[in-house]
Amino acid sequence: MSPSTLGDGARTSRAASPNPLLRRILVTLALLGAVVGLEFGFDTLVPDVALQQLVLFALVNVVVALSLNVINGMAGQFSIGHAGFVGIGAYTAAIVAGHIHKALGVDDILFSNSFIVMPAAILAAGGVAAIFGLVVGLPSLRLRGDYLAIVTLGFAEIFRLVIATAQTGGDVEGPIAKFLAYLGGQNGYAGPDRNGVPQYAGPFWIFGAAVVAVIIAWRLKFSGWGRALRALREDEIATASVGVDPTRYKVTSFVIAATGAGVAGAMLASMRNGNPTVQPDQFTFAYSFDAITMVILGGSGSVSGAIVGGVFVTFTVKMIEQLQRFESVQALQAAYPSLDLNALRMVVYASVLIGLMILRPEGIFGEREIIRRKPRQRVSHAPPEPLPARTEAEANPESETGPLTGKAEK
Amino acid sequence: MSALDLQGVTKTFGGLRAVGGVTFKVPERSIFGLIGPNGAGKTTVFNLVTGVYKPDSGSIRFAGEELSVLKPAQIARRGVARTFQNIRLFGQLTVLENVLVACENRRRSGLLSALLRSPSFFRDEAEMQRRALELLAIFDLDKLADETSTSLSYGNQRRLEIARAMMLEPKILLLDEPAAGMNYGEAEGLKKQIRWLRDRFDLTVILVEHNMQVVMGVCEEIHVLDHGETIAHGTPEEIRKNPKVLAAYLGEETPDEAASAAAAEEEAAT
Ligand SMILES: Nc1ncnc2c1ncn2[C@@H]1O[C@H](COP(=O)(O)OP(=O)(O)OP(=O)(O)O)[C@@H](O)[C@H]1O
Ligand SMILES: [Mg+2]
Repeated sequence: MSPSTLGDGARTSRAASPNPLLRRILVTLALLGAVVGLEFGFDTLVPDVALQQLVLFALVNVVVALSLNVINGMAGQFSIGHAGFVGIGAYTAAIVAGHIHKALGVDDILFSNSFIVMPAAILAAGGVAAIFGLVVGLPSLRLRGDYLAIVTLGFAEIFRLVIATAQTGGDVEGPIAKFLAYLGGQNGYAGPDRNGVPQYAGPFWIFGAAVVAVIIAWRLKFSGWGRALRALREDEIATASVGVDPTRYKVTSFVIAATGAGVAGAMLASMRNGNPTVQPDQFTFAYSFDAITMVILGGSGSVSGAIVGGVFVTFTVKMIEQLQRFESVQALQAAYPSLDLNALRMVVYASVLIGLMILRPEGIFGEREIIRRKPRQRVSHAPPEPLPARTEAEANPESETGPLTGKAEK
Repeated sequence: MSALDLQGVTKTFGGLRAVGGVTFKVPERSIFGLIGPNGAGKTTVFNLVTGVYKPDSGSIRFAGEELSVLKPAQIARRGVARTFQNIRLFGQLTVLENVLVACENRRRSGLLSALLRSPSFFRDEAEMQRRALELLAIFDLDKLADETSTSLSYGNQRRLEIARAMMLEPKILLLDEPAAGMNYGEAEGLKKQIRWLRDRFDLTVILVEHNMQVVMGVCEEIHVLDHGETIAHGTPEEIRKNPKVLAAYLGEETPDEAASAAAAEEEAAT
């Protein structure tokens, strides 16, 4: 049934038409101007350094949430080790950025030099995370859904523990052990000279990364590929029955998710005023859990939801940390030394999630978006050749009509 | 030339022989009935042909190619489309999107051009939508294009499933109980539509159906299974008279009774 065999009835489809080139260029320039403006105006806009840090961290988390949303939200799989990919990206970027910075020989963190350091760090982090994504996803995505959860969790914990428990002092033998020792074990990696990872990622890079991530996530979702992925989430057997290979789509989405997480890791490692060492403790299961919360809270499959979820969770985590400042909380901690505020965070999250599951099981946005493209008005013509029962029904509206005409259903 | 050729196809689940050495040929461009009492193995045959299950033994050949070594998506791309006994639509997707997924495998522009929103992306998308809407118009679903598929009535969902299968441009269409839940008039319409689709799109149709009015009325050749075994094969006339078939349907409505009941109803209607 080539298009012509279906008849040539003139018909306007509502297919999105390409943005006029001029509009595209203008939008790109406006976004570029905005992030450059933020690079230089951020200090004035947000004078408080702690708040600056929080905003940048929230944006990194938006990238984390957007990437996890591809696999957990759109493809309907369940990865619970996303922090592992963020961590791999962070370590890779830290090593690359550290060495390039050293080679540049300029001690100051110059904005101009960031255009050498950051692209390299981002590419390396995304690339290495993608390779790990392929290695983890290829075997587990062939199997039933729950295998992915187990494998991703195992992968993230192995990654973290291998680094955290590596022998760092004394004589280490062999290239792998030497490399792990170089990563600094539990204390973390602080650049080739152990004086901190260069912090090239200012507002320009982090806002820029977030904007690009939103655009990519949006375009993926509203493409044939995203449609197939959502179909896969709804029904794998039916998806395969129309020629879409589930494994291929799942693996691709998983690699894309891992790449995004790797890039987020690069931002985290190089974040201005951030932690100058990359430490294994940043990538515990708690962080993977945060990422899952961001996606579910915002609405699985929603780009808008991932943004809102990423920001919301970041600020909530910070607020819980701030509790420590209160004297009453400190007194409580003194009285009960085993009281762990991290555990408290889990309690708060769990309560929020349970409440949400009861009140709004599909998350804040469900699968929807803030902006919804209205379907364009379609001019509809009589079909080139209607099904037989329909013509009969039209000739004789009294008679019962066929199942393919829709007119008999009441 | 036969469109589909099954040779000694066997499938067991644990100790249960759901399909035991089934052999039949489906003539090209025919409407072929696969019938039998509940649990006879009809749906399992569909699942074997479409690659959802691998046969334990035997061969399934389509246009000279062995299907049992291929994955479901590959089989679909060869031109074998199906509907499901328990409707399997993409619930949260719109009617239009449901149909569009079925031409995803034919999209020429890749992921990169989707990310860049290149001209070829828009061209492909526009062409796919045009074809999808034409197909939906044939099934009178074009006005519902932007509704989510779960919001459709049962009959519309069944029709959408056929439309989605047709979007694959199949050479064979496997229909698993399309008349389930239809009244007499709807089933009469379905008969016409199956013939119409076959003629219009040069299809081979394999029909699994309990509704004897439809099976006897539309099929040119019928294969009867019972407990996974072949018990009869022939024209509707032959099947109607076959004592083994009558025995297999004992306790149920026999093909003969169903046909005469249908005839009586038809008389009453006129
Ligand atoms: N995945 C499975 N695992 C175990 N048993 C199965 C499986 N699929 C089918 N069966 C069994 O195989 C037998 C044949 O089932 P099948 O669904 O093919 O019958 P059918 O002819 O389509 O029946 P119906 O008319 O009720 O749809 C049944 O006994 C069924 O319980
Ligand atoms: Mg069945």
